[in-house]
Amino acid sequence: MIKKHQPLRKFHDYKSSISRSPNKEPLWINSSSSEMSGPLFSEKIINKNDNDLTLNFSKIGEKPLGQEIFVHGFVKDENGNNLKNVLIEIWQANAGGKYRHQNDPSNIKLDENFGGCGRFITSSDGYYIFKTIEPGAYPYPNRGTEWRPRHIHFSLFGSMFLQRLITQMYFEGDPLIKSCPMVNSIPDINARKLLIGRLDLSKTENEKILGYRFDIVLRGKEQTFFENKREGL
Amino acid sequence: MNEPKKLIDTPSQTAGPFLHIGCTPRITGINIFKSELGLIPFQDISDNEAINIKGKIYDGNNEPIIDAMIETWQCDVNGNYSSNQGFARIVTDLKTGEYQLKTIRPGNKINTDGSLSASYITFWIVARGMNRPLITRMYFLENDLKNDLVLNNIKIEDRLNTLIPYTEDKKNFIFNIYLQGKKETIFFEF
Repeated sequence: MIKKHQPLRKFHDYKSSISRSPNKEPLWINSSSSEMSGPLFSEKIINKNDNDLTLNFSKIGEKPLGQEIFVHGFVKDENGNNLKNVLIEIWQANAGGKYRHQNDPSNIKLDENFGGCGRFITSSDGYYIFKTIEPGAYPYPNRGTEWRPRHIHFSLFGSMFLQRLITQMYFEGDPLIKSCPMVNSIPDINARKLLIGRLDLSKTENEKILGYRFDIVLRGKEQTFFENKREGL
Repeated sequence: MNEPKKLIDTPSQTAGPFLHIGCTPRITGINIFKSELGLIPFQDISDNEAINIKGKIYDGNNEPIIDAMIETWQCDVNGNYSSNQGFARIVTDLKTGEYQLKTIRPGNKINTDGSLSASYITFWIVARGMNRPLITRMYFLENDLKNDLVLNNIKIEDRLNTLIPYTEDKKNFIFNIYLQGKKETIFFEF
Protein backbone atom coordinates (compact mmCIF):
# COMPACT_ATOMS: atom_id res chain seq x y z
CA MET A 1 0.00 0.00 0.00
CA ILE A 2 1.81 3.13 -1.18
CA LYS A 3 1.01 6.59 -2.41
CA LYS A 4 2.89 6.70 -5.69
CA HIS A 5 3.12 10.47 -5.72
CA GLN A 6 4.94 10.44 -2.37
CA PRO A 7 8.51 9.12 -2.06
CA LEU A 8 9.31 5.65 -0.84
CA ARG A 9 10.76 5.74 2.65
CA LYS A 10 13.36 3.14 1.79
CA PHE A 11 15.00 3.75 -1.57
CA HIS A 12 18.20 1.87 -2.30
CA ASP A 13 19.78 4.53 -4.49
CA TYR A 14 19.58 6.93 -1.52
CA LYS A 15 21.92 5.18 0.88
CA SER A 16 21.07 6.91 4.13
CA SER A 17 17.38 6.05 3.68
CA ILE A 18 18.16 2.36 4.19
CA SER A 19 19.05 2.56 7.88
CA ARG A 20 16.77 5.54 8.50
CA SER A 21 13.45 4.01 7.46
CA PRO A 22 11.34 1.43 9.29
CA ASN A 23 11.40 -2.17 8.08
CA LYS A 24 7.83 -2.89 9.16
CA GLU A 25 4.69 -1.54 7.52
CA PRO A 26 3.21 1.61 9.07
CA LEU A 27 -0.05 1.32 10.96
CA TRP A 28 -2.84 3.02 8.99
CA ILE A 29 -5.44 4.58 11.25
CA ASN A 30 -8.14 7.17 10.79
CA SER A 31 -7.32 10.78 11.51
CA SER A 32 -8.56 12.08 14.83
CA SER A 33 -8.52 15.48 16.50
CA SER A 34 -4.75 15.22 16.97
CA GLU A 35 -4.21 15.11 13.21
CA MET A 36 -7.00 17.50 12.24
CA SER A 37 -5.71 20.29 14.47
CA GLY A 38 -2.36 22.05 14.51
CA PRO A 39 -0.50 25.17 15.55
CA LEU A 40 -1.31 28.44 13.79
CA PHE A 41 1.23 31.21 13.53
CA SER A 42 0.49 34.90 13.34
CA GLU A 43 2.11 37.72 11.38
CA LYS A 44 3.44 38.90 14.73
CA ILE A 45 6.31 36.44 14.52
CA ILE A 46 7.46 37.81 11.16
CA ASN A 47 9.85 40.72 10.59
CA LYS A 48 9.51 42.84 7.46
CA ASN A 49 12.58 41.41 5.71
CA ASP A 50 12.26 37.79 6.84
CA ASN A 51 11.37 36.77 3.26
CA ASP A 52 14.29 38.65 1.69
CA LEU A 53 17.39 36.48 2.05
CA THR A 54 19.47 39.07 0.19
CA LEU A 55 18.80 41.51 3.05
CA ASN A 56 17.97 39.61 6.21
CA PHE A 57 21.55 38.65 7.09
CA SER A 58 23.69 41.05 5.07
CA LYS A 59 25.61 44.04 6.34
CA ILE A 60 24.06 47.40 5.60
CA GLY A 61 24.75 48.35 2.01
CA GLU A 62 26.12 44.93 1.07
CA LYS A 63 24.61 41.98 -0.78
CA PRO A 64 25.28 38.26 -0.97
CA LEU A 65 27.03 36.92 -4.09
CA GLY A 66 25.00 35.17 -6.73
CA GLN A 67 22.11 35.53 -9.14
CA GLU A 68 19.21 37.26 -7.39
CA ILE A 69 15.86 35.53 -7.82
CA PHE A 70 12.27 35.75 -6.72
CA VAL A 71 10.61 32.47 -5.76
CA HIS A 72 6.86 32.88 -5.56
CA GLY A 73 3.59 31.04 -5.93
CA PHE A 74 0.39 29.92 -4.27
CA VAL A 75 -0.28 27.36 -1.57
CA LYS A 76 -3.44 25.38 -2.28
CA ASP A 77 -5.40 22.48 -0.88
CA GLU A 78 -6.20 19.43 -2.98
CA ASN A 79 -9.45 21.05 -4.16
CA GLY A 80 -7.53 23.99 -5.56
CA ASN A 81 -8.52 26.45 -2.84
CA ASN A 82 -5.80 28.93 -1.94
CA LEU A 83 -4.63 28.56 1.65
CA LYS A 84 -4.05 31.66 3.76
CA ASN A 85 -2.00 31.91 6.97
CA VAL A 86 0.35 29.09 5.98
CA LEU A 87 3.75 29.58 7.61
CA ILE A 88 6.54 28.83 5.11
CA GLU A 89 10.14 28.47 6.25
CA ILE A 90 12.91 28.06 3.68
CA TRP A 91 16.64 27.32 3.89
CA GLN A 92 19.35 26.84 1.31
CA ALA A 93 23.06 26.83 0.46
CA ASN A 94 24.87 29.96 -0.73
CA ALA A 95 25.81 30.63 -4.35
CA GLY A 96 28.87 28.39 -4.00
CA GLY A 97 26.88 25.46 -2.59
CA LYS A 98 27.92 25.97 1.06
CA TYR A 99 25.49 25.89 4.01
CA ARG A 100 25.93 28.08 7.05
CA HIS A 101 26.05 25.02 9.31
CA GLN A 102 28.72 23.56 11.56
CA ASN A 103 28.26 20.09 10.04
CA ASP A 104 28.72 21.11 6.41
CA PRO A 105 32.11 19.51 5.59
CA SER A 106 32.75 21.45 2.38
CA ASN A 107 35.66 23.92 2.27
CA ILE A 108 33.77 26.33 0.03
CA LYS A 109 33.70 29.79 1.60
CA LEU A 110 30.76 31.07 3.57
CA ASP A 111 29.24 34.29 2.27
CA GLU A 112 29.37 36.80 5.13
CA ASN A 113 26.27 38.46 3.70
CA PHE A 114 24.16 35.33 3.48
CA GLY A 115 22.46 33.38 6.27
CA GLY A 116 20.33 31.16 4.07
CA CYS A 117 16.94 31.12 5.77
CA GLY A 118 13.64 32.97 5.46
CA ARG A 119 10.04 32.99 6.64
CA PHE A 120 6.73 34.11 5.22
CA ILE A 121 3.03 33.64 6.01
CA THR A 122 0.75 33.32 2.97
CA SER A 123 -1.60 36.23 2.37
CA SER A 124 -5.39 36.01 2.23
CA ASP A 125 -5.18 34.70 -1.35
CA GLY A 126 -2.62 32.01 -0.51
CA TYR A 127 0.28 33.87 -2.13
CA TYR A 128 3.89 33.82 -0.96
CA ILE A 129 7.11 35.39 -2.21
CA PHE A 130 10.78 35.15 -1.28
CA LYS A 131 13.72 37.08 -2.65
CA THR A 132 16.99 35.19 -2.50
CA ILE A 133 19.98 34.11 -4.58
CA GLU A 134 20.23 30.97 -6.66
CA PRO A 135 21.91 28.30 -4.51
CA GLY A 136 24.88 26.36 -5.87
CA ALA A 137 24.94 22.63 -6.50
CA TYR A 138 27.18 20.68 -4.13
CA PRO A 139 28.69 17.20 -3.80
CA TYR A 140 27.72 14.76 -1.05
CA PRO A 141 28.58 11.16 -0.23
CA ASN A 142 26.03 8.61 -1.46
CA ARG A 143 27.06 5.97 -3.98
CA GLY A 144 30.50 7.49 -4.03
CA THR A 145 30.41 11.24 -4.48
CA GLU A 146 27.23 12.55 -6.08
CA TRP A 147 25.91 16.03 -6.77
CA ARG A 148 22.74 17.51 -5.39
CA PRO A 149 20.79 19.56 -7.90
CA ARG A 150 20.36 23.22 -6.93
CA HIS A 151 17.47 23.32 -4.45
CA ILE A 152 15.68 25.27 -1.74
CA HIS A 153 14.19 23.49 1.28
CA PHE A 154 10.58 24.39 2.10
CA SER A 155 8.72 23.72 5.36
CA LEU A 156 4.97 24.44 5.56
CA PHE A 157 2.34 24.44 8.30
CA GLY A 158 -1.22 24.21 7.00
CA SER A 159 -4.22 24.42 9.30
CA MET A 160 -3.81 20.87 10.66
CA PHE A 161 -0.91 18.57 11.39
CA LEU A 162 -1.98 16.27 8.55
CA GLN A 163 -0.90 19.05 6.19
CA ARG A 164 2.57 19.46 7.68
CA LEU A 165 5.02 19.25 4.80
CA ILE A 166 8.77 19.50 4.28
CA THR A 167 9.93 19.40 0.68
CA GLN A 168 12.46 20.84 -1.76
CA MET A 169 12.12 23.04 -4.82
CA TYR A 170 14.43 22.32 -7.75
CA PHE A 171 15.19 24.63 -10.67
CA GLU A 172 13.77 24.10 -14.13
CA GLY A 173 16.36 22.78 -16.55
CA ASP A 174 18.91 21.67 -13.95
CA PRO A 175 20.56 18.59 -15.53
CA LEU A 176 21.33 17.13 -12.07
CA ILE A 177 17.63 16.57 -11.28
CA LYS A 178 17.17 13.42 -13.29
CA SER A 179 19.94 11.50 -11.49
CA CYS A 180 18.99 12.71 -7.99
CA PRO A 181 18.04 9.69 -5.85
CA MET A 182 15.89 11.84 -3.56
CA VAL A 183 13.79 12.96 -6.51
CA ASN A 184 13.77 9.46 -7.95
CA SER A 185 12.47 8.01 -4.67
CA ILE A 186 9.07 9.26 -5.90
CA PRO A 187 7.61 6.38 -7.95
CA ASP A 188 5.25 8.54 -10.04
CA ILE A 189 7.40 10.28 -12.66
CA ASN A 190 4.78 13.00 -13.19
CA ALA A 191 4.68 13.79 -9.48
CA ARG A 192 8.44 14.47 -9.54
CA LYS A 193 7.73 17.42 -11.82
CA LEU A 194 5.66 19.02 -9.04
CA LEU A 195 8.95 19.80 -7.26
CA ILE A 196 10.35 21.93 -10.07
CA GLY A 197 10.20 25.71 -9.82
CA ARG A 198 9.47 27.05 -13.30
CA LEU A 199 11.30 29.99 -14.80
CA ASP A 200 8.82 32.90 -14.64
CA LEU A 201 9.92 35.74 -16.86
CA SER A 202 6.82 37.72 -15.87
CA LYS A 203 8.42 38.05 -12.43
CA THR A 204 11.80 39.45 -13.45
CA GLU A 205 12.64 42.88 -12.08
CA ASN A 206 14.89 45.72 -13.21
CA GLU A 207 16.54 43.40 -15.68
CA LYS A 208 18.55 41.86 -12.86
CA ILE A 209 16.32 39.63 -10.76
CA LEU A 210 15.02 36.37 -12.26
CA GLY A 211 11.70 34.84 -11.24
CA TYR A 212 10.71 31.26 -10.44
CA ARG A 213 7.17 30.05 -9.86
CA PHE A 214 6.55 27.20 -7.41
CA ASP A 215 3.00 26.30 -6.34
CA ILE A 216 2.51 23.91 -3.45
CA VAL A 217 -0.48 21.65 -2.71
CA LEU A 218 -1.18 20.42 0.83
CA ARG A 219 -3.16 17.24 1.36
CA GLY A 220 -6.70 16.94 2.68
CA LYS A 221 -8.26 14.81 5.40
CA GLU A 222 -8.90 11.78 3.24
CA GLN A 223 -6.46 8.96 2.68
CA THR A 224 -6.02 9.23 -1.06
CA PHE A 225 -4.46 6.56 -3.21
CA PHE A 226 -3.92 7.27 -6.84
CA GLU A 227 -2.74 3.82 -7.86
CA ASN A 228 -3.18 1.18 -5.19
CA LYS A 229 -6.39 1.18 -3.17
CA ARG A 230 -6.04 0.47 0.48
CA GLU A 231 -6.99 -3.09 1.34
CA GLY A 232 -10.54 -3.41 2.57
CA LEU A 233 -11.72 -0.14 1.07
CA MET B 1 -20.76 9.56 -10.07
CA ASN B 2 -18.19 12.06 -11.19
CA GLU B 3 -16.11 13.53 -8.40
CA PRO B 4 -14.22 16.75 -9.04
CA LYS B 5 -10.61 16.07 -9.97
CA LYS B 6 -8.32 16.56 -7.01
CA LEU B 7 -4.89 18.10 -7.15
CA ILE B 8 -2.02 15.84 -6.20
CA ASP B 9 -0.38 16.96 -2.98
CA THR B 10 3.22 18.10 -3.37
CA PRO B 11 5.63 15.24 -2.67
CA SER B 12 7.66 15.29 0.52
CA GLN B 13 11.47 15.44 0.37
CA THR B 14 14.03 14.94 3.11
CA ALA B 15 14.70 17.89 5.40
CA GLY B 16 18.40 17.01 5.09
CA PRO B 17 21.19 17.30 7.65
CA PHE B 18 21.10 21.13 7.73
CA LEU B 19 17.44 21.60 8.66
CA HIS B 20 18.55 23.68 11.64
CA ILE B 21 19.31 26.64 9.35
CA GLY B 22 15.64 27.07 8.52
CA CYS B 23 13.93 25.51 11.54
CA THR B 24 16.13 26.26 14.56
CA PRO B 25 18.53 28.84 13.12
CA ARG B 26 19.99 30.00 16.45
CA ILE B 27 21.79 26.66 16.79
CA THR B 28 23.72 27.55 13.64
CA GLY B 29 24.49 31.06 14.87
CA ILE B 30 21.84 32.77 12.75
CA ASN B 31 19.90 35.15 14.95
CA ILE B 32 17.67 37.15 12.63
CA PHE B 33 14.13 36.08 13.46
CA LYS B 34 11.95 37.46 16.26
CA SER B 35 11.65 34.05 17.90
CA GLU B 36 12.23 30.37 17.35
CA LEU B 37 9.12 28.24 16.89
CA GLY B 38 7.82 25.89 19.56
CA LEU B 39 10.41 26.64 22.22
CA ILE B 40 7.84 25.81 24.89
CA PRO B 41 4.59 23.92 24.28
CA PHE B 42 2.64 25.77 27.00
CA GLN B 43 3.12 29.12 28.69
CA ASP B 44 3.97 29.14 32.36
CA ILE B 45 4.33 25.44 33.08
CA SER B 46 4.45 25.18 36.88
CA ASP B 47 6.94 22.89 38.61
CA ASN B 48 3.96 21.03 39.93
CA GLU B 49 2.59 20.06 36.52
CA ALA B 50 5.84 19.84 34.52
CA ILE B 51 6.92 16.51 33.10
CA ASN B 52 10.23 15.78 31.39
CA ILE B 53 10.62 13.45 28.45
CA LYS B 54 13.96 12.56 26.95
CA GLY B 55 15.35 9.92 24.67
CA LYS B 56 17.15 9.11 21.45
CA ILE B 57 16.14 8.02 17.99
CA TYR B 58 18.09 4.94 16.90
CA ASP B 59 18.70 4.10 13.25
CA GLY B 60 18.99 0.60 11.76
CA ASN B 61 22.63 0.39 12.85
CA ASN B 62 21.56 1.18 16.42
CA GLU B 63 23.28 4.56 16.21
CA PRO B 64 21.50 7.59 17.68
CA ILE B 65 20.40 10.07 15.02
CA ILE B 66 22.13 13.40 15.71
CA ASP B 67 20.44 15.52 13.05
CA ALA B 68 16.74 14.89 13.58
CA MET B 69 14.00 17.40 14.31
CA ILE B 70 10.99 16.34 16.35
CA GLU B 71 7.78 18.31 16.49
CA THR B 72 5.44 17.30 19.27
CA TRP B 73 1.73 18.04 19.32
CA GLN B 74 -0.63 17.42 22.21
CA CYS B 75 -3.83 18.50 23.90
CA ASP B 76 -4.06 20.30 27.22
CA VAL B 77 -4.96 18.72 30.56
CA ASN B 78 -8.64 18.85 29.63
CA GLY B 79 -8.20 16.99 26.39
CA ASN B 80 -8.59 20.02 24.13
CA TYR B 81 -6.41 20.81 21.13
CA SER B 82 -5.81 24.50 20.54
CA SER B 83 -3.99 26.22 17.67
CA ASN B 84 -2.05 28.47 20.05
CA GLN B 85 -0.55 25.91 22.42
CA GLY B 86 0.57 22.29 22.61
CA PHE B 87 3.25 22.54 19.92
CA ALA B 88 6.97 22.05 20.53
CA ARG B 89 9.91 21.86 18.14
CA ILE B 90 13.03 20.14 19.39
CA VAL B 91 16.15 18.79 17.76
CA THR B 92 18.33 15.90 18.79
CA ASP B 93 21.70 16.93 20.25
CA LEU B 94 24.27 17.33 17.47
CA LYS B 95 26.78 15.24 19.46
CA THR B 96 24.81 12.77 21.59
CA GLY B 97 21.52 12.51 19.70
CA GLU B 98 19.48 13.06 22.87
CA TYR B 99 16.30 15.14 22.80
CA GLN B 100 14.58 16.69 25.80
CA LEU B 101 11.06 18.00 26.15
CA LYS B 102 9.52 19.77 29.12
CA THR B 103 5.75 19.79 28.90
CA ILE B 104 2.57 18.87 30.78
CA ARG B 105 0.80 15.57 30.80
CA PRO B 106 -2.03 15.74 28.25
CA GLY B 107 -5.56 14.88 29.28
CA ASN B 108 -7.88 12.35 27.70
CA LYS B 109 -9.40 13.76 24.55
CA ILE B 110 -13.05 13.06 23.88
CA ASN B 111 -13.82 10.88 20.85
CA THR B 112 -16.67 11.69 18.50
CA ASP B 113 -18.81 9.00 20.15
CA GLY B 114 -18.25 10.54 23.58
CA SER B 115 -15.78 7.95 24.85
CA LEU B 116 -12.41 9.00 26.23
CA SER B 117 -9.24 8.39 24.27
CA ALA B 118 -6.00 7.37 25.88
CA SER B 119 -3.61 10.19 26.70
CA TYR B 120 -0.74 10.63 24.26
CA ILE B 121 1.72 13.04 22.64
CA THR B 122 2.25 12.93 18.86
CA PHE B 123 5.87 12.83 17.65
CA TRP B 124 6.51 14.04 14.07
CA ILE B 125 10.09 13.30 13.01
CA VAL B 126 12.24 14.40 10.06
CA ALA B 127 15.97 13.99 9.34
CA ARG B 128 18.50 13.30 6.60
CA GLY B 129 17.64 9.94 5.05
CA MET B 130 13.91 10.30 5.76
CA ASN B 131 12.12 10.98 2.50
CA ARG B 132 8.90 11.41 4.44
CA PRO B 133 8.26 12.30 8.07
CA LEU B 134 7.80 9.49 10.59
CA ILE B 135 4.84 9.85 12.92
CA THR B 136 4.50 8.04 16.21
CA ARG B 137 2.83 8.60 19.56
CA MET B 138 3.98 8.36 23.14
CA TYR B 139 1.24 6.96 25.33
CA PHE B 140 1.59 6.87 29.09
CA LEU B 141 -0.09 3.66 30.18
CA GLU B 142 -0.22 0.38 28.32
CA ASN B 143 -3.62 -0.50 29.77
CA ASP B 144 -4.92 2.85 28.65
CA LEU B 145 -3.62 2.16 25.19
CA LYS B 146 -5.19 -1.27 24.93
CA ASN B 147 -8.58 0.24 25.63
CA ASP B 148 -8.11 3.01 23.10
CA LEU B 149 -10.84 2.59 20.53
CA VAL B 150 -8.58 3.72 17.73
CA LEU B 151 -6.21 0.87 18.35
CA ASN B 152 -8.72 -1.87 19.03
CA ASN B 153 -8.63 -4.89 16.77
CA ILE B 154 -5.16 -4.38 15.46
CA LYS B 155 -2.81 -7.31 15.39
CA ILE B 156 0.29 -5.70 16.75
CA GLU B 157 -0.30 -6.25 20.44
CA ASP B 158 3.23 -7.50 20.96
CA ARG B 159 4.58 -4.16 19.69
CA LEU B 160 2.30 -1.83 21.64
CA ASN B 161 4.96 -1.47 24.32
CA THR B 162 7.06 0.50 21.79
CA LEU B 163 4.64 3.39 22.33
CA ILE B 164 5.16 3.45 26.10
CA PRO B 165 8.06 5.31 27.73
CA TYR B 166 10.23 4.00 30.52
CA THR B 167 8.79 5.77 33.55
CA GLU B 168 11.49 6.86 35.97
CA ASP B 169 8.98 8.52 38.26
CA LYS B 170 5.73 10.46 37.88
CA LYS B 171 7.55 13.37 36.28
CA ASN B 172 10.36 11.84 34.27
CA PHE B 173 10.05 9.62 31.23
CA ILE B 174 12.49 8.11 28.74
CA PHE B 175 11.01 7.53 25.31
CA ASN B 176 13.46 6.02 22.84
CA ILE B 177 12.42 5.54 19.24
CA TYR B 178 13.78 2.64 17.20
CA LEU B 179 13.56 2.76 13.42
CA GLN B 180 14.38 -0.92 12.95
CA GLY B 181 15.16 -4.11 14.84
CA LYS B 182 13.41 -6.12 17.54
CA LYS B 183 12.19 -2.99 19.30
CA GLU B 184 11.05 -1.22 16.11
CA THR B 185 8.62 1.52 17.10
CA ILE B 186 5.12 1.57 15.64
CA PHE B 187 4.79 4.39 13.11
CA PHE B 188 1.43 5.71 11.96
CA GLU B 189 0.05 6.70 8.60
CA PHE B 190 -3.20 8.59 8.10
